[in-house]
Amino acid sequence: MPPSSPNFSSSVKLKYVKLGYQYLVNHILTLTLIPIMAAVLIEVLRMGPLEILNLWRSLNFDLVQILCCSFLIIFVATVYFKSKPRTIFLVDYACFKPPNTCRVPFATFMEHSRLILKDKPKSVEFQMRILERSGLGEETCLPPAIHYIPPTPTMEAARGEAELVIFSAMDSLLEKTGLKPKDIDILIVNCSLFSPTPSLSAMVINKYKLRSNIKSFNLSGMGCSAGLISVDLARDLLQVHPNSNAVIVSTEIITPNYYQGNERAMLLPNCLFRMGGAAILLSNRTSERRRAKYRLVHVVRTHKGADDKAFRCVFEEEDKEGNVGISLQKDLMAIAGEALKSNITTIGPLVLPASEQLLFLLTLIGRKIFNPKWKPYIPDFKQAFEHFCIHAGGRAVIDELQKNLQLSAEHVEASRMTLHRFGNTSSSSLWYELSYIESKARMRRGDRVWQIAFGSGFKCNSAVWKCNRTIKSPSDGPWADCIDRYPVYIPEVVKL
Amino acid sequence: MAENEIMYVCKRTVVSTKPVQPGKHHPLSVLDRHMEKNHLRVVCYYKGPRGQEEAGEITKRLRESLSEVLTHFPIMTGRLIQNDKGHWMIKCNDAGVRMVEARAKGNVEDWLGSVDRGRELMLVHWEDMYYKPYFWSTFYVQVTEFEEGGLAIGLSCIHLLADPTCATMFIKAWADTTLPRKMLAPPFFDPLPPRRPGNTIPNHKPYTALIDHYNFSLHNSNPSTVAKHTTITLSFSDHMVQACMDMTQSSTATPNKPSPSPFEALAGLFWVCISKVKSLRNGLLNMSICLDARKVLGLHKAFFGNCMIYNKVHSDGLEEHKLSQAARAIGEVVAKMDSEGIMDLIEWLEQNESPISPLMNSCDLICSNLEVVDIHSSEFIEKLRPIQVSYYVESVFGIGQVLIFPAPPGEGPLGRVAMVTLPEDEVIKLCEDELLLQFSPTILMGVNRTHA
Repeated sequence: MPPSSPNFSSSVKLKYVKLGYQYLVNHILTLTLIPIMAAVLIEVLRMGPLEILNLWRSLNFDLVQILCCSFLIIFVATVYFKSKPRTIFLVDYACFKPPNTCRVPFATFMEHSRLILKDKPKSVEFQMRILERSGLGEETCLPPAIHYIPPTPTMEAARGEAELVIFSAMDSLLEKTGLKPKDIDILIVNCSLFSPTPSLSAMVINKYKLRSNIKSFNLSGMGCSAGLISVDLARDLLQVHPNSNAVIVSTEIITPNYYQGNERAMLLPNCLFRMGGAAILLSNRTSERRRAKYRLVHVVRTHKGADDKAFRCVFEEEDKEGNVGISLQKDLMAIAGEALKSNITTIGPLVLPASEQLLFLLTLIGRKIFNPKWKPYIPDFKQAFEHFCIHAGGRAVIDELQKNLQLSAEHVEASRMTLHRFGNTSSSSLWYELSYIESKARMRRGDRVWQIAFGSGFKCNSAVWKCNRTIKSPSDGPWADCIDRYPVYIPEVVKL
Repeated sequence: MAENEIMYVCKRTVVSTKPVQPGKHHPLSVLDRHMEKNHLRVVCYYKGPRGQEEAGEITKRLRESLSEVLTHFPIMTGRLIQNDKGHWMIKCNDAGVRMVEARAKGNVEDWLGSVDRGRELMLVHWEDMYYKPYFWSTFYVQVTEFEEGGLAIGLSCIHLLADPTCATMFIKAWADTTLPRKMLAPPFFDPLPPRRPGNTIPNHKPYTALIDHYNFSLHNSNPSTVAKHTTITLSFSDHMVQACMDMTQSSTATPNKPSPSPFEALAGLFWVCISKVKSLRNGLLNMSICLDARKVLGLHKAFFGNCMIYNKVHSDGLEEHKLSQAARAIGEVVAKMDSEGIMDLIEWLEQNESPISPLMNSCDLICSNLEVVDIHSSEFIEKLRPIQVSYYVESVFGIGQVLIFPAPPGEGPLGRVAMVTLPEDEVIKLCEDELLLQFSPTILMGVNRTHA
């Protein structure tokens, strides 16, 4: 089409200009170093060995000076290596695959909703509209206690669900890694809404007969981003304890949190949250260097709790009838956007290539000095990462982030498909997404992964991993039996 | 009392393990729609396995296998909606079936020793159609574990979707999945086949008796709820059924006639006995028989849907209390219910469909032949066959109903079980009838004289 061809050719030209600029700035050191090295080499060759020897003798180094210099070099090198933070490896992880008998198709969910909320048709309508637009599929699972009519969320049922999820994930992890329970030095369990006494971490220690001097932690109440908080905690602990293994168990127990009232803002989690869990093995042992899947590069945590609106936007409270539920405010997406911006500002300088940082800096200076009306430059994070794992909190969250970070459909495919197949599994959803990418055989050595999670508080946490070895599509795992069906097309509205 | 004996643990919805392809609908045939007002209930009793399992273990296994078998029966997990013509059809929306779990005190043998209709019906859950049928489950399963050993499995469903043959087929499929064995006959959900054009005989005189009977029922179905019905179960051993068949043959004029089938003999027997009980002076009661027409129509035996046809047996010109003549009359009617006649009926029904479906069992005494059901080969636990089975086709409003089906294999190939539903006083009289007592039936379930 003639009218757009000048546009097309100019955009192609612009693309090449951009590529050239990026290559130049990112490899500036190499590009300046090579000519210098070449010049020195030519000079050395020109001078010849005798002249070099004369030059050396003219410097009049004596033994003491040489020894001091070498000691200095060795000293600096030692200090450098000692103070370098230990490399944290992610050896392997296992996700819980819910049994098919716990499946909740849309029709069953709506029927139960109607049977339980018999005299509140408006609430039922609301739930139906949410479900239609949720992006969930027909294979997501709820724990057995919620399948009853009426649901029976007793503490015993909650413990039952916790045992099912956590022990399955742990068994799977121990089998995959060949780890012996006695070799676990650090155990961190995070489950936001169910916190019995003794804690879930004590439950794990009891079941697997872990060592008595284990360092165990149980994080509760920290929302959907608690998985990355656990990773951060494990990282800090692994800096202090050499040669250790850390196991993280991330899950969310749905049974006690099924909202039984009819306040709209609180019915939303019922429609989206589903059963899921993951167990991860981190290690700082150099022996794991070979077989570890990923290396932890950065963890960045941002907390917007200082702002009152952010603090109250995801709030657990009782409704007028005394039912406890989690109420989500309408400004949730705006606050999430703010938190993300904050997080990006911190993580940007750590991960972005020099070209993007330079552009950002120039635009920033330009806005401050020349013209505040310049659009702020949004760095292109696709340059920094090959894969993105966005917490599958809901369709709106994924859409928002896709827009903000200018990601393509393929980048967010892992998140969308995890939401479709497993629903919102809270802190473990990042691991299902990572498993999806691996099952699609897209993970290659050197690829960088960015995991972003949002949580109540309001928090935005990110973790950056670098792939250690090319990963073959696994034969087991939560996606093993259905990966061939994915990606599926998820319509905007599913007619129920 | 009875209420304390059964403790309901929970009610839940069980869905299939694989999701159903969205957008599937299953139309219901005209024979299905005719049975809308009735519902079926089936109860199977099993002895407990040796080596007691924990309470609830077997229920859990059954629930998991139920999920698996439902993948093959998408019709059962769907819901009723009305199509453009106002007819019922199934939307296969993957909603699931309701399952009730219960515990009962004592063991299954003791229960069977003192069971009656009221108590047996507590073992199979049923809910009448809601005002909005879209959220109403068409099938209900109940698993009752007996604390001291034994298991009772109850299945109930609206007759609109299934007749006793396919309800039994489902139970067999479920049992096979629990074991686990390969399901021997996956169900067929195709619609009833239309008449094949090549088969129309020129100048074919339609067999109007079937059509007349259905026409009559359509216009005369007025349920009378005056008398309270009760049900008893009588078991006839192999010898006794043989004796009955011999008796029906003893005074036939033509010795070359083939001997009556067990159904014809027993149906004749009940016809005669119940007529006596109702103190009819002249001749025999109005009776209809109900047969499974899968074989006659050439359908696969795994055809899922209603395929039981009713026909009236004529009692004119029969002396009362003559068993042989009664059985012969029944035999004649059975022989006349051939493929052509049934196809004529189906065509007539499709053209003359009334908006209100009738109650097929509200005018006559109905005698149903359920001999094709193979319930006794359903083993949920290895090598454990059901020790007793009961069928109910509810609701019975008219004169009464007799269901005849095979006895457990231990009783011999001719052994039969008959479940008789009549007003209570008549049942008591029936149990004392001389002719019936000649065949010494064992009363498996009697009348409970002490009401709760």
